[in-house]
Amino acid sequence: MTSGELRVRLFAGLREEAGWQERSLVHQSGMTAAAVWKLLNLGGTAPPATVRVAINHEFAALDTPLANGDEVAFLPPISGG
Amino acid sequence: MSPHPLAVLLDVELLVAPFDPLTSLAAWQARLMVGLPSIAAAEAHFIGRVRPVTSDGSPLEALELEHYPGMTEGRIAAFSLALAHQHGVAAVLVRHRVGRLKPGEPIVVVAVAADRRGPALRCCQELLETLKHEAPFWKREWVNGCGHWVAGNTPL
Repeated sequence: MTSGELRVRLFAGLREEAGWQERSLVHQSGMTAAAVWKLLNLGGTAPPATVRVAINHEFAALDTPLANGDEVAFLPPISGG
Repeated sequence: MSPHPLAVLLDVELLVAPFDPLTSLAAWQARLMVGLPSIAAAEAHFIGRVRPVTSDGSPLEALELEHYPGMTEGRIAAFSLALAHQHGVAAVLVRHRVGRLKPGEPIVVVAVAADRRGPALRCCQELLETLKHEAPFWKREWVNGCGHWVAGNTPL
């Protein structure tokens, strides 16, 4: 991945619905996780309320601006333990 | 130099193969004996196993546990340390399975060592609840060869 790209990752049910687990995307200034969701046609105009976002392995808000090289992940509801 | 008063022995690991919780606990206790500046008089332990039935009551064939490599371990370490400081405990152990598990197999061990039973028990319970809601794990229940992602957590 080059520095001007984003890495997008999906997990569990989201991955299977989309049919892919990881993609690279050209980063554009001001891009947010919400914009990535829409751009990749992951369903509707925004993720369902139950889907959480992680940027570089930390939970983040949907409207957090992304930076070159960021890894953004969409996480379906967690069920651990 | 004396150890920092808030130093915590933190031991977090995800396991891809079946494990024996009592062996994990015994090894952890041995490490405490050499790693803690003084004996921790109280320990709280929790062992979780895979239920033999699915969330809707069908006989379970297997439970698959997916995680987010890197983030899952990082989140567990971060909130374990924060809770250890919050409750003033000396040591925390977390062992969590990933991959495919059979009914009855151990899935999680949480152990906390402290000076008193109150902090040990409270930290253990809070850590376990945080683990269920804040660590990126996803469960898929398998019945008759068909997998179904579990949408939420089991009741307390």
